[in-house]
Order: sequence, then structure tokens, then C-alpha cells
Amino acid sequence: MTAILPVLLLLTSLLPATITFFLDQDRFRLRNTLNLGGAIVKVGLIVMMLLAVAGGASYETSIPLAPGLVVLLQIDTLALMFVSLSAFLWLLTTVYAIAYFGRKREQSRFFGFFGLCVASTTGIALSGSLISFFIFFELLTLTTWPLVAHKQDRASLRAARIYLLYALPCSVVLLIAIVWLKGITGPILFTDPPDLSQVDPVTLRVIFAMFIIGVGMKAAIVPLHGWLPAAMAAPAPVSALLHAVAVVKAGAFGVIRLVYDVFGVERMTALGLGLPLAVLASVTILWGSIRALQQTEIKKRLAFSTVSQVSYIILGAALASPMGLIGGLAHLVHQGLMKITLFFCAGIYDERAGVRAIAGLNGLGPRMPWTSTCFSLAAIGMIGLPPLAGFVTKIYLGLGSLQAGAPWVLAVLAASTLLNAAYFLPMLYRLWFADPAPEVAGDEAAPALVAPAVIAAMGALGAGMLAASGVSPLGWATLIVEREVAP
Amino acid sequence: MILWTGPLLPLAALVWPLLLAALTALPGLRAQGVRLLPIAPLPALWLALAGAEEVTTAPDLLLGVTLRLTEGGRLLLGMAAALWCLAGLAARPMAGKPNAALFAGFWLLTLTGNLGVFLARDIVTFYVAFAAVSLAAWFLIVHDRTPRALHAGSVYIVIALAGEVALLVGLILGADAAGSMVIAEVRAVLDPLPLALLVIGFGIKAGLVPLHVWLPLAHPAAPVPASAVLSGAIVKAGLFGLILFLPEGAFGPVLVGLGLAGAFGAALWGLTQANAKVVLAYSTISQMGLMIGLIGAGGAAREAVPYFALHHGFAKGALFLCVGVMLAAGARWQRLACLTVAGIVAASVAGFPLTGGALAKAAVKDGLPEIAVTVLSLTSVTTSLILIWFLVTLCGPEGSGAASRWTPRLMVPALAGVLALAVPWGLWPVWSDHEAAYLLTPATMWDALWPVVAALPFALARLLWHRKSRPLRDILRDIGRWRPGSTGLSEGFAPAAWAARGEALSAALLGATGRLEGALIRWRVSGLLIPVVVLAIFALLA
Repeated sequence: MTAILPVLLLLTSLLPATITFFLDQDRFRLRNTLNLGGAIVKVGLIVMMLLAVAGGASYETSIPLAPGLVVLLQIDTLALMFVSLSAFLWLLTTVYAIAYFGRKREQSRFFGFFGLCVASTTGIALSGSLISFFIFFELLTLTTWPLVAHKQDRASLRAARIYLLYALPCSVVLLIAIVWLKGITGPILFTDPPDLSQVDPVTLRVIFAMFIIGVGMKAAIVPLHGWLPAAMAAPAPVSALLHAVAVVKAGAFGVIRLVYDVFGVERMTALGLGLPLAVLASVTILWGSIRALQQTEIKKRLAFSTVSQVSYIILGAALASPMGLIGGLAHLVHQGLMKITLFFCAGIYDERAGVRAIAGLNGLGPRMPWTSTCFSLAAIGMIGLPPLAGFVTKIYLGLGSLQAGAPWVLAVLAASTLLNAAYFLPMLYRLWFADPAPEVAGDEAAPALVAPAVIAAMGALGAGMLAASGVSPLGWATLIVEREVAP
Repeated sequence: MILWTGPLLPLAALVWPLLLAALTALPGLRAQGVRLLPIAPLPALWLALAGAEEVTTAPDLLLGVTLRLTEGGRLLLGMAAALWCLAGLAARPMAGKPNAALFAGFWLLTLTGNLGVFLARDIVTFYVAFAAVSLAAWFLIVHDRTPRALHAGSVYIVIALAGEVALLVGLILGADAAGSMVIAEVRAVLDPLPLALLVIGFGIKAGLVPLHVWLPLAHPAAPVPASAVLSGAIVKAGLFGLILFLPEGAFGPVLVGLGLAGAFGAALWGLTQANAKVVLAYSTISQMGLMIGLIGAGGAAREAVPYFALHHGFAKGALFLCVGVMLAAGARWQRLACLTVAGIVAASVAGFPLTGGALAKAAVKDGLPEIAVTVLSLTSVTTSLILIWFLVTLCGPEGSGAASRWTPRLMVPALAGVLALAVPWGLWPVWSDHEAAYLLTPATMWDALWPVVAALPFALARLLWHRKSRPLRDILRDIGRWRPGSTGLSEGFAPAAWAARGEALSAALLGATGRLEGALIRWRVSGLLIPVVVLAIFALLA
């Protein structure tokens, strides 16, 4: 049983996806049942494993693909954190997407790739070796492309093309880095980090930089972030998944794995790589926020906000102090909950009120109270105001930066807070206080769209309100650091 | 899972208003939600009266909530709870008006934060409470949604957020140095930088000159009951923060200097104002300046600051509430009755003998050197002056008049006034080493009386000048020409002179970043080129 669990976890997304491809367009009920069923089974499995892993269990499976090429799946606390986030939000997004697409065309293709995309994310989370990680990482690149291009209009196709233009060269760099490192040290398992003490420091630095380029592109590190705002052409559920779970998170997760399970904190510090990475993350945080200020479209502003917020996670990893890492890991979940809420809401404004521009938000608050309340809560959390999840991250990152002897990070956090406030508060002001435009009519008569937003917003609120409890993202992040890093 | 340990009452005092806030959101209760406001602070009031020694912890909440009642915290908690209760009574006529539910909900959130500040034992709880009281108060300020209120709101939110950030960074620095989240341990190890940040954060809330600029805009813009709690109870959150975190003597001369600048400057500046609420707001800055100065002075005077603040909270609340009652007054006797109440309370703030204010001043005088006592008496002169001026402005505008059930309305400020006059007597034995008889000696009485008498000729002069002079200038024009009609919160906060320059600068900055970003995005190769550069480097190295 224990050996098969990781595979089962993959299959819960892979199987419905594969079947969905062969379903007729009009088989709405069967397709929805399949996808929802898969998502629910997966969440069930994960709850089971969360309990087991909290008690000290771990799971491992290896699948030989070719001689010398083994896909290693393992479930440790870190993997489980990412996989729980993706499974939970996948369930919400599936509900949302079914309502969002309604009776539109090409749904089998959409849900097929949607499932594959989540399967790849799961694979990335569960990978126990660099090679497995790479395989799923590239699978993710390829399965995301049809989702971005889904609408098949000029903008979508262009966005999808830009995405590939960024993704493929970076993949090449990543592959070269992996092969190079493997050539020096042999197979690289996350559970058993390679011994790098004999390797020439310059080589290691170059390899590290190549890794950061390879995975950092997905995390939208400046200057490799251009694809993300362009990908806004995709439908709302795709944006939600892209920004909260799948692609950018895969990148951030990759950086954490790289820093802690490939290079290791001591080696990274000895090579002097922590500081440049922290600076890169800080630049991204500020750059994303400054650019977000200038946007006039809701989704674009949110996209630049993602650029900025995801780098909190990378900053946490780069600081290489226990508190910083806890903050970064917790933000992996916090940002996911808050950002998916924002994108769900942006989709609802688009669908139910036809509003895409920030100026169009005027007066929508009282007309769409549930959506707007969720949007407001998530925005407040993004700024980092208590009691929402964001402030927990900020306190931990702040303490972590001092632990790591990098007090300048506090200035970055302070500036980012003010910038976030500067671009989110005017939106909230428009929602609740500005006079509505007469021709805009909005309603919320779509419970399947609104409910996922409400649940995700409650999650973000709960993650902050109950941060100190064992079941919170912060509690789990603390467990990860205690178990995987501290000893 | 342990929900809490220690006595339940401190936790209940904070959870109860939040529960009521949730109730006001229910559709059936929305219109009448303001009627719940008076009962919200009752558990806190009970807690302040009964006292509690033990630490209450709720380990799962936030980052682990710990609550504890300190001596000064207990005093201010009691004052704040009682004042919020009275102001809640004064807010009852708002029931059924537009946005009443929103007002009630954020009133309760602000209240929770305000009470939490006095109860928090760890910095995270303190920070969350402080943020709640700061940011939720924004909704009280903009409630009327007049251009003036919205403008005051945008000034307020920008300054409040800046204060919030300063506070958080200061607290994080402190927590790291102490290796602990407990306020008492953080306080022991604060370096100058975190201390300065905390002084900025708290000073903004407490109206410390020159961080006070939002206060004369915001306090008068809010509806009367909200003004009363803003000036009476909420500013005390900042003051309490200073008491809680500043070690004895830290930034002493700076605080004394800025405090006295506020104490004298704001009182005199207030004389140029025609609006009674604005005059009161300046009086608040002046009184808060005095208290901050006393904190800077340290010693026994600092110990007595909560006692002083207690009196000021009740009295200032009563005066603000009087403004509302006066506007609702129709008949001449009603105006006279209201003026009498305001006059007595004003006399107390000025420190007239045997009033609560005289006791408050006598208590802080104990620990001060001779010169400081003289300065304190001089501030009483300016305080008397501005309060006489307040009484004049209070009589100024004719209100809408003839509100129904006017007498019960007057009872609310009257009751707050009675508390201001009487409670210091009850607490005198606890907060002063002297016997009560000390207060009745001719010397003490004369000390309290002469500043009020000395102020009379100046007040008369001001009145005569007023008769001859033009109508008073508007506050917005005094502070600077502010950009009207701003909708964004990031906009609208700069006097005209800087606004143009700032705009040009930000346009240039945004333009530059936009171009760079455009180049990066258009530059299709950016995905390609960077990897190629890295590969080239590696080729050279290999």
C-alpha cells in the first residue's frame, strides 16, 4: 500500500485527464463527474497522508523508465505541502471551471490538459530525484501551452507563443545544468544530497545560476517574467491555476528543492550564492509591484502582483535561515489561497458584470457583495495586513532576514507593503465607495463561481487567524523545517 | 487542542465585540445594528473593574495570543470601555440611516482593536490590535462620504499605513533582538533604530508633532460619536504604546521638546479655527503633546500618565459629544444646558480646582522639577484659552435643531463629564502619594486656579479681535492646498507645491520602468538571450 500511494496520487489526475480526451464534447455530466471525482479522491488521499506523515511516515516508489533512468516518487513533508495545496485548489478550480465554461466548446480538450497540468504539478511535488523533477517540469511546460492558447484568438496564441519562447530555452539550460551536475556527482536524489565538497566552486556557481534560470523562469523572476502578464489572455480558471498553483509555484518549489535538497544551505552560503539570490528576489518583489501600479486592467495588475509575491517564497529560501524558510514555505500556501481568490473574483467580474478594467470596478461592491468581500479580504491579505495570511509571512520573513544577517530585507518588505497598498487599496475604494457606472449591471447568480472564491478566501483568513495551530500552513512549514532542515 | 488557558474574561472582552460585528452583518439586523454598540464594551468594562492577575493565552490564535492586564492598561481599558459604551449610546440615532451597518461593523472592529492594545502581552497580538484600531477607524472617518470626509480619509490612510509599517519593522527588530515576543522582554533590549520606528508608529496615532497632520482633518470629519472615541480613546492606543515600549528615559529630550511644541503650538493654532470640532482636535493634539512630554520626562510623572489620560479621555469624549448635542438643540434653554455641561467639562480639562483635571495635573506634578511644574502651569493657560475659544465656537452655528428625545441625548455627554470629574477622585489614593486633603490646601487650589484666571484676559482679547476680523480661515487652506477629487488612495496626499513636482517625478519613473519592461517583453530574445549569455560564460570557463 505505501509504495503505491504516490502512484495513486498521480493517477487521480492522470486517469480522468486521459479519459477526458476521448470524451465527446457533449458528455458534460460524465466529464464533470470524472474530473470532480478525481479531485475529490485526491483530496481524500491527501488528508489521509497528511495524518500519516505528521505521525512520521514517508512513502517512496521508483518506476524504471529506461535503463539508468528511474522516476523516483517520494512523499516527504515538503512534497506533501505542495501537493495538498495543488489538490485542494485544483478541486476548487474544477468546480469554478465547470461553471465558468458552462456550455462552451472544446471542453474535453480543456479539461484533459487541465488534468494533465495538475498531474505534472503533482509529479513535480513528488519527485525524489532531479531527473524525475525535470521530466515533470517539462511535462508541465507542454501541458500548459494548450491551456493558455485555449481561446484560440490572436492574443491567446501570441501569449502561448511568448510562453514557449521563454520556457524552452530555459528548459535547455536546466537540462544542461542537471546533466552537468549528474556527470560530476552521479544520480542526484533529494533525500540524499550529492557530496559537492570536491567540486570546483566556480563550476558550482555556474551550475547554480543555470538552475536558477531554468526553474526561476517559471517562478517569473525578473527579467524572465515577461510571459506571465502576457499569459493573462487565458481564461480565468487557467490564470487562477497558473498563478496560484501550477506554473509559478512549480518554479518556486523548484528553487526550494534546489537550495535545500541539492546544494544545501551550508554549501550555498559557502559559495556566496544566498545574497545574489535574495537580491534577485527583492528586485523582483519591488519591480513587480511598481509595474502592477501602472496597470489599468484587473488581471494584468494581478499578474504583476504575482510576479512580486512569488518572490517572497524565493526570498525565504535564499535567506537560508530557519525563520525565513518557514515564512517562504508558508507563503507558498498563503499566496496560493489569496491569489486564487483574486483571480476567481476577477473572472466573476468579467463573466457576470463584463468588467475587465480597474475603472470598471466602480460601485460593484454593493451589487456583488460576496465576490467583492472575498476580493477585499484577499487584497488585504496581499498587502500583509492582519489577521489575514499575508502578515504571518511578513513577520517570519522579517525575523528570518535578521536571523540571516540581512536587515536590508526589512526595507524591501516595508516598501513592498506600501506598494501593495498603493495598488490594491484604490481598487477596494472603487469597489465600495465610488459611484457605479449606470450601464454596468452585475449580479452573483452563479453559486458555483462564487463558492470557490468564498472557500479560498476563508482559507486565507483561517491561515492567518489560526496561524499558530498545528493544522495551519505555518504549522506545517514549521514541521518541514524541523524535520528536513534543522537536524 | 487547547482553546485558551487562564481566565476567560480578557479573551471574551475581545471576542464579544467581534461576535456583535458578525451579527450586524446579518440582513435582518443591518439597519438596527448600531443599537448593539453600547453593549459591546461591557465585558471589557467589567474586566477593568474586576481586574485579573493571570495571563490568558489562546495558543492557536494568530501567532499565539497572550493577554494580560497591567496597572496602566487596566485604567485605560476601563476608560476606553466606558467611553465606547457612552459613544455607542450617542450613536443610536444613526439606526436606519444609510450605511449604518457598515458603520456599526467597523465601529466594533475598531473597538476590539482599541481594547486589544490595552490587553496584549505579546507583540503580535499588540500589532494586530493596533492595526485593527488604526485601519478600521478609516471607515468611521469617511462615514459621511462628503468630499471633506473622503479627503480626510485619504490623508489618514496613507499616514496610518506608513505608521503601521514603521511599527511592524520596529517590532520585528525588537523581537529578533530579544529572541522573544513578550513585550516586556522586547522593551528591555530595544536599540535606537527600532525605538525610533516605534516612536513614529505610536506618535502618528497619538498626534505627536510633527506627525499629527492627519488628526485635525480626520477627527472632525467623522460623525460625532466616532470623533468622541477617536479623540478620547483611540489616540490613547498610541500613548499606551509609548508607555509600554519606551524604556525610561529613551528619547527623553526629544519627546519633551516635541510634546511641548504640540502642547503650546496646537493650542495656539487652534485659536485660528472656527469649527468647534476642529478646535477640539487641536486641543487633543495639545493635551496629547503634554502627555508625551511627561513620558519623555520620566520618573513619577511618567507613572501618572495613564491617570492623566483617563481624565482626558472622558473629558474629551464628553466635549465632542456636546458638539453633537448642541447641533441637535432647538430651544434656547437646551443650548444653555448643553453649554453648561461643556463649560464644566472644559473647566476640568483646564484644571480648575477640585475638578478631575486638577487632580490629574496635581498627580503628574508630583514627580517634576520646579521648572517643569511652571511649564505645566503655562500649558494650563493655553489649554484654558483654547477651551474658552471652543465654548465660543460651540455657540456659533445654529444646529438643525428640535431633535426628538433631546434630554436623554444630553445625558450621554453629561455622564461622560461626571466620570471625568469623579473617577479621578476615586482613584486618587491609588495614583498619588498624597492624602486627599492635599488637594484642598490653598496652595494646591491656587496652583490650579491661576492659569485659568490668567487665560481670561487673553481669551477676551481673542474674542474682541474676532469681532473685528474676517471669518476664520478653513483648515484645508491652512495646512496647504490639497488636491481635491482624488479617488485613489495613493493620490491626493500632497500639498500643491509638492504635488506637481511629485507627479512629474513619478511620471518619469513610471515611464522609465514602463519602457524598460516594454523592451524586455518585446525583446523576444530575452528568454533566449539570457540563457545564451550564461552558456557563453560557462563555455569560457570550461
